[in-house]
Amino acid sequence: MYGFHAISTHNGWAMAIAGALIVFSGLVVLSTAISQIHRILLFFENKYAGFRNNNKIQENDEPEEQPESALPTIFPTELDEIALLYSPLIEEIGDTFYLSDLYKIAKENHFPHPHITFTAFRDAKILIPYGDGVFSWEPPKENTVNENE
Amino acid sequence: MDLLFQFLSNTGYYLADYRNVIMIVIGTVFLYLGTAKKYEPLLLVPIGFGVLVGNVPFFKGFGLGIYESNSVLHYLYFGVTTGLYPSIVFLGLGAMTDFSSLLARPSLMLLGAAAQMGIFFTLLGALGLGFLPKEAASIAIIGGADGPTSIFLTAKLAPHLIGPIAIAAYSYMALIPVIQPPIMRLLTSRKERLIRMPELREVSKKERIIFPGIAVILCCFLAPASIPLLGMFFFGNFLKECGVTERLAQTARTAIIDTATILLGLTVGASTQGDVFLTPKSVGIFVLGAVAFSIATASGVIFAKIMNFFLKEKINPLLGAAGVSAVPGSAREVHLVGQSEDPENFLLMHAMACNSSGVIGSAICAGILWSFMIGL
Repeated sequence: MYGFHAISTHNGWAMAIAGALIVFSGLVVLSTAISQIHRILLFFENKYAGFRNNNKIQENDEPEEQPESALPTIFPTELDEIALLYSPLIEEIGDTFYLSDLYKIAKENHFPHPHITFTAFRDAKILIPYGDGVFSWEPPKENTVNENE
Repeated sequence: MDLLFQFLSNTGYYLADYRNVIMIVIGTVFLYLGTAKKYEPLLLVPIGFGVLVGNVPFFKGFGLGIYESNSVLHYLYFGVTTGLYPSIVFLGLGAMTDFSSLLARPSLMLLGAAAQMGIFFTLLGALGLGFLPKEAASIAIIGGADGPTSIFLTAKLAPHLIGPIAIAAYSYMALIPVIQPPIMRLLTSRKERLIRMPELREVSKKERIIFPGIAVILCCFLAPASIPLLGMFFFGNFLKECGVTERLAQTARTAIIDTATILLGLTVGASTQGDVFLTPKSVGIFVLGAVAFSIATASGVIFAKIMNFFLKEKINPLLGAAGVSAVPGSAREVHLVGQSEDPENFLLMHAMACNSSGVIGSAICAGILWSFMIGL
């Protein structure tokens, strides 16, 4: 038996359509589920952080004063100036460090867009990679700016 | 003198027929492609050598051939016919796979689903050409471009076709650089190939740990027949990501997968004995395999173009070609085609997301097809 007759006899059309729909719907459900994982995690992390803060407030009666941020109100756009703001963080974590440590400390200090900044630092050879996620800091030379000017 | 004649009549030189010679030539081509051209050497070298070993003519009834019940090769082949080796390979694959890019951009999983359409088109084609449903399902899975999945399903549905189907699946995987680029170029404009993909967000460790658990439940509840593949795959990935079983993950992605690949390749190669392999059916399987693989590539690319009608931020349609599960060959090819148009366009990470979803998709397809065939 050959051709369309064989396909119909063996229920081929139904198998192909049902199979395609099942695999598609399965992967759609999976992709929807995994797209929500980070949101759910964030929700629980915020809730946990809130719970911890509430406990602290109850223990201390008065809320702790938030330390004032060392960052300027208007964040600079020049890479050299941003690098100057990062210098205290580098002093804190040492000359060579894991990028993840710098990211963590930048986040803790509320530096905006650390990912994009790091990419720019790498392009400008301010962050020098040593492999395996280890980097060193090469501060921009001040006189290069003046020379260019 | 009689003893000498008797000995000579038992040698391979005397017993050989033209089919053994043809298969030995094919095995040699595989070895050449694997070693000299470096086309998927980890697969083609064991298979090629297996073809040579399997086609040495011998005396039937001596317990030498792979199809003789008391031979060493037969015992090694047991891992193929039971689906054991493919499951072990999937364990190692899971321990190697990094799902970060998929977790960062889950919508790319749809391209992995779209590329599975090649399987169902080929199912129709194979039925139309007169193959029985179980044979047709085994041939169709070649469209997933996943060797272990093809072998696993064929072992369950049509064990007599393992040789040609495995050889076809692995040949097309090795020929990705030849088959996929023309299809990608044919179906996309230069403007589309130049589309750059945005940088992926960073994925947290917790997300990567949770993913295999969610994925195994959702996929295996949908198609329980895929448990031997996806169960092992996500278990391997969990070993990698959980952070406390690094030693096990390391063993799974090195020694275990290597051992399984060697035995799988060698025995599949040896199963291609000329008298069993060289049949009109094998030719049909090779033709249908090529069609399946091409349709899978094309449907991924076309689906990516359809997605672009609805997306504000367009995706590069080349990524659709990586929806087949040939890891990492097709992702690499997508990246290279993208770079041939724009050397600063980096598509590899996005293509790997499609590629890993293709592995999941083709294993689900295998489970679906197997469950369709129960009772037939």
